[in-house]
Amino acid sequence: MTGPAAAQPTTAAVRRLAAVRRSAGFATRFLGRTDGLVGVIILGFFAFIAAFPGIFVGPLEDVTTATGLPLHAPYAAHVFGTDELGRDILNLTVHAARISMTIGLMATIITIVVGAVVGIVSGYVGGVLDTILMRIADFFLVLPTVVLALILAPVILDVIGAGAEFGGIRATLLVIVVVIGLTSWATTARIIRSQVLSLKERMFVDRARVIGSGPGRIMRRHILPNVVNLIVAQAVLTFAGAVFTETTLSFIGLGDPVAPSWGQVLNTAQAAGAPGLGAWWYIAPPAVCVVLVVLSFTLVGNALDDILNPKSASRLRVVDEP
Amino acid sequence: MNGRYLLRKVTQAIVTIVAIVLLMFLLFRIMPGSPDRAVKRPNITIEQVQALKAQLGLDKPLVPDQLVTYVRSTLSGDLGYSFKFRGQPVTEVVADAIGPTVLLIGLGELIAIVVGLALGSLSGWRRGGLVDRVGNGVSLILYSMPYFVIGMPMIIIFAAGLHWFPTSGMTTSGGSSDAVSQLVDLGSHLVLPLVAVSLGLIGGYSILMRSSILETRAEDYITTARAKGLPDRRVLWTHAFPNALLPMVTWIAISLGYVIAGAITLEVVFNWPGIGTLTVEALDSRDYPLLQGIFLLIAVSVVVANLIADLVYGLLDPRVHA
Amino acid sequence: MRSSQRRRGAGLLAMLGLLGGLVLVGVAPVSAADPVVLRAGTTQDLDSTNPFNTILVVGYEAFQLTYNLLVEFDKDAHPAAGYADSWERAPDKVTFHIRTGMKWSDGTAATSQDVCYSWGLAMAAIKDDTNVGAGYLDPNVKDAGVTKIECPDDSTFVASTTDQSDRIFQVYIPILPKHIYGKDDYKKIADEKFDAPLVGTGPYTLAEWKTGQFARFVRNPNYWGKQGFEDEVVLQIYKNSDTMVQALKSGELDYAHGVNSDQFKQLQVDPTFTTVAGKLNGWSQLAFNEYTKPIKDGGASTKALQDPAFRDALGYATDKQALVDRVLGGFGDPGDTAIPPVLADWHVAPDNPRHFNIDLAKQKLDAAGYTLDSNGKRLDKEGKPINLRLDYPNTDDNYPKVAQFVTSWYAQLGIGVTSQGFDSATLGEIILPPEGDGKAKYDIELWGWVGNPDPNALLQIFRCDAIGSSSDSQYCNPAFDNLYDQQLKEAGTARHDTLAKMQNLIYNDAPYDILYYEASLDVWRNDRFASWQSMPSDGTPLFTYGILDYTLLTDATAVPTPGATVLATGGASGAPTSAPSTGGTSGSSGSTGLLIVLVIVVIVAIAGWLYWRRRNAPKVELE
Repeated sequence: MTGPAAAQPTTAAVRRLAAVRRSAGFATRFLGRTDGLVGVIILGFFAFIAAFPGIFVGPLEDVTTATGLPLHAPYAAHVFGTDELGRDILNLTVHAARISMTIGLMATIITIVVGAVVGIVSGYVGGVLDTILMRIADFFLVLPTVVLALILAPVILDVIGAGAEFGGIRATLLVIVVVIGLTSWATTARIIRSQVLSLKERMFVDRARVIGSGPGRIMRRHILPNVVNLIVAQAVLTFAGAVFTETTLSFIGLGDPVAPSWGQVLNTAQAAGAPGLGAWWYIAPPAVCVVLVVLSFTLVGNALDDILNPKSASRLRVVDEP
Repeated sequence: MNGRYLLRKVTQAIVTIVAIVLLMFLLFRIMPGSPDRAVKRPNITIEQVQALKAQLGLDKPLVPDQLVTYVRSTLSGDLGYSFKFRGQPVTEVVADAIGPTVLLIGLGELIAIVVGLALGSLSGWRRGGLVDRVGNGVSLILYSMPYFVIGMPMIIIFAAGLHWFPTSGMTTSGGSSDAVSQLVDLGSHLVLPLVAVSLGLIGGYSILMRSSILETRAEDYITTARAKGLPDRRVLWTHAFPNALLPMVTWIAISLGYVIAGAITLEVVFNWPGIGTLTVEALDSRDYPLLQGIFLLIAVSVVVANLIADLVYGLLDPRVHA
Repeated sequence: MRSSQRRRGAGLLAMLGLLGGLVLVGVAPVSAADPVVLRAGTTQDLDSTNPFNTILVVGYEAFQLTYNLLVEFDKDAHPAAGYADSWERAPDKVTFHIRTGMKWSDGTAATSQDVCYSWGLAMAAIKDDTNVGAGYLDPNVKDAGVTKIECPDDSTFVASTTDQSDRIFQVYIPILPKHIYGKDDYKKIADEKFDAPLVGTGPYTLAEWKTGQFARFVRNPNYWGKQGFEDEVVLQIYKNSDTMVQALKSGELDYAHGVNSDQFKQLQVDPTFTTVAGKLNGWSQLAFNEYTKPIKDGGASTKALQDPAFRDALGYATDKQALVDRVLGGFGDPGDTAIPPVLADWHVAPDNPRHFNIDLAKQKLDAAGYTLDSNGKRLDKEGKPINLRLDYPNTDDNYPKVAQFVTSWYAQLGIGVTSQGFDSATLGEIILPPEGDGKAKYDIELWGWVGNPDPNALLQIFRCDAIGSSSDSQYCNPAFDNLYDQQLKEAGTARHDTLAKMQNLIYNDAPYDILYYEASLDVWRNDRFASWQSMPSDGTPLFTYGILDYTLLTDATAVPTPGATVLATGGASGAPTSAPSTGGTSGSSGSTGLLIVLVIVVIVAIAGWLYWRRRNAPKVELE
């Protein structure tokens, strides 16, 4: 399993040169991938509205500030219709983009950091540590994500405390972030570990060992740069999985009603009886957004994976459905 | 494959199951909240609360007393009585929910495997062709849709709107009748959720199969077969397909292991009486014995599925011998 | 290779056949059913068919269909003849006369011995200061002040009481058949499974129960009262109100209990349905944590909550009418005192009501010594800004909305609120003080209560000795406890006056800010059954006190109503048959089995085919 990047990391100058050439090649190749490009454009759009929801629709409406008619089909004042409290669905959907994307991002960072560290350490150090770490990973891989999330959620809320807040994200949503991180790091760790196992046997690692580099330095300076490509592609795919899982968890009631994500909007739609009442305008916008974002991340992730890791077998983010 | 390999794998599986079951036993009790507080009760004194706890066996220390009792009774095949469904043995409560779950998810997996593998093969075989562009596109979109996003519109259109199928549930209770009309009744309830499960699963199988076929297509023997002038379809189905299936065996076996865990969101949307929602109810009421029963079942089925995947892979691929 | 082609073709055909069959099955019309079945839906999952173990409304409905109470309820929820057809009240005892010639559904004679057995279970548990099963039924006997029960002969049952209250006529103890359960004491009865079919004296007895799906009841031919029109009753379980309403609309369901306000409004204007917003015997409240002793790592965040003047001021800052209009969709009543208006005999409006007025709330806070700092934050008497934690159970979709309103109202007073949802098992533990091995780490609990026909259950939670068990405000006032004990011995006007004092005491002390009395929103179809009656008149027909309405329904198709649609199932025609239906109890599980067998066959076929492919493929490689 070798990527082009793994070929000849000799002196710093050569490496820098190679990096420049690689990035130029990367850009051309990525632009040649229609699917990746479409994905990037869609994601760019969602990233923009997630960053500045206020300039499109004003502040998030809640039950005290809602002005529309309750559960009304699209009309002049609310072109996307309203929910059962008279909130504007467009307003909710746009603000939900921010929540969903933020949770996705935070969960991805946790997943990738934990997964990469465990994967590299486990693969490189090996022995008993490897066995222990991989058995722990097994535990999280074996149990279905959503069920495990339901068990862990109250435990984590208890640990971080109901008053916890981080970057404007309230405790309930932090719980979701941690839960997604906990249930998905193992996949990343496994993938990176297997790459590290093959790298470990290669010449340049041996050479570093011979000239007296410690294991920490080898992992940082020699192993990590050679799995970065893998990590990047994996991170994008993990993001897709995180948004997907967040939607499912919020739908079954783990979301925060005060800061609704797309899954949370779908949850309140179901609770308000929207499917039976024929309130399609309440369901369609958040549902379409979820599908578009998950799809785009998958497209971009697959394109990246093909370009950066051409020889690796195609992967999918592992989502065991609830 | 020799006996020692088999023995090692089986031992590993048993150890994993035992570890999961014990960990879950502790995890359930780490969850904040206790069974006697799941429902608000007027008219109760502190003494009565204590008596209730004693009756549920929660008055003794967790370790060793409760743990020892649990291990001892589990080993003797006694899973105890449910807290929530009071007076009902765990085995019976779980047994009631397994049938519907296996019927729905099992059939869904089966359909998804057949359709997904076929779609993936055709897509990969004619890469870039019409089938590939449509097929792979549809697969990716389906893959980005949670079950409930597929299910909700289906209910609105086919059940609530067109009245082709019942809206929810598994059977029409009461009334009369013979086995045939009951089977018809069950079938009519099954159609919509089954289609939703199948659609939700097809994407993953199709995408993986496509990439597997792509790799197989480049192999020498395929080129040879083509060179010999065999019809294209025949090369695909008799030569490429069986070989491309090999890497899929693991994925399929593991997926089948998750059948037993059910699908919570789907069960909620279609009011299907399965294990998924039973798990949620058991968690809500902190029904420890029922939770332990469900997780014992999930752990065994997932681990055994993994074991079978390993063994089958070993049988099919002569390189795996250890 | 020919054979391979054929086999593959066969496999595909089998698969297509299976799919096609399912589709055909789906569109095939449902065959006409013989017995008349009444289907009533609820979103509660039946937890147990053992009367002593259920804690849910649907469980009460289930056991009351099968078993009689000694005294039933009439259509105004007042005492009516049940297992006993008459009784006499003496100062210290009540003598009940059991119906003569009454039989259990299995033909055994039903006598006072069955009453002595059933009430005896509760008496024995009370003697041991514990409960029978889940502990929801036996407190009724204790609360009625029963000291001794006797059965002088097979048609007489005598209960001695400490007082003259009417509570003895509201005792929810089902009369169980002694000839079946007689060997069980009060401990063992809790382990009985009460598997279908059950033997009872009620109008319909349990014939089948599928966990999480439905409970089916068949006509009891030996029922002493008027035989109902329908032959079977099915209580159908739904996981959410949306699927329930869709089933109601499509005709799969006749009656839906507990829909939401939007669904209710849509069905209200549809002539196919009748809707009723029944008054519910309960409320939702803000419970303030008034625990007085310090708790390490726990307790309320400010001592202000212990101050009645502070709580009183907060009471002016919640607009109850706005909550009813915006959160409940208009279906409910603004809250005031601790006995809901549905208990019309006992409820009183407060003498000094608090009306929504933010400015007045501010003045009251200023006057009570809670002043604003330079940032506009309200300070407690220790000089600390007041920030309250508002915790609610995430089982109720309305509570997050209420929390948002409360947050915005309190913010206008300069008081910060952080709201958080918990699952109910966790929240139930959070509010426990040291007496219940907890830390009471909360400021405001937003939750609710549902009571019994007698107000005692809802008043008991304010007693000092409820701290550590039922109390969620940690309120303790000996004056209230004295009044409580006093009213236990009273009846009629005397009790009414004492209860009025207690309601005002609680209202003025404000351990709770009672927000609203929710309505139970029920809907039924007009095209199959007629003569629905709400019981009591401001309640709902089903899922209420007693099960009288099940026997009063009539055939809606007998008198043609304009606009009534004819259903495909069309079973509701002709006179009711008197013979109970017993068929089809095992059918559905049988067909599940059949389908599973079918699936296995298909799996084996595919596996075989794949194996065959696999064996043949390498041959070509070697060529």
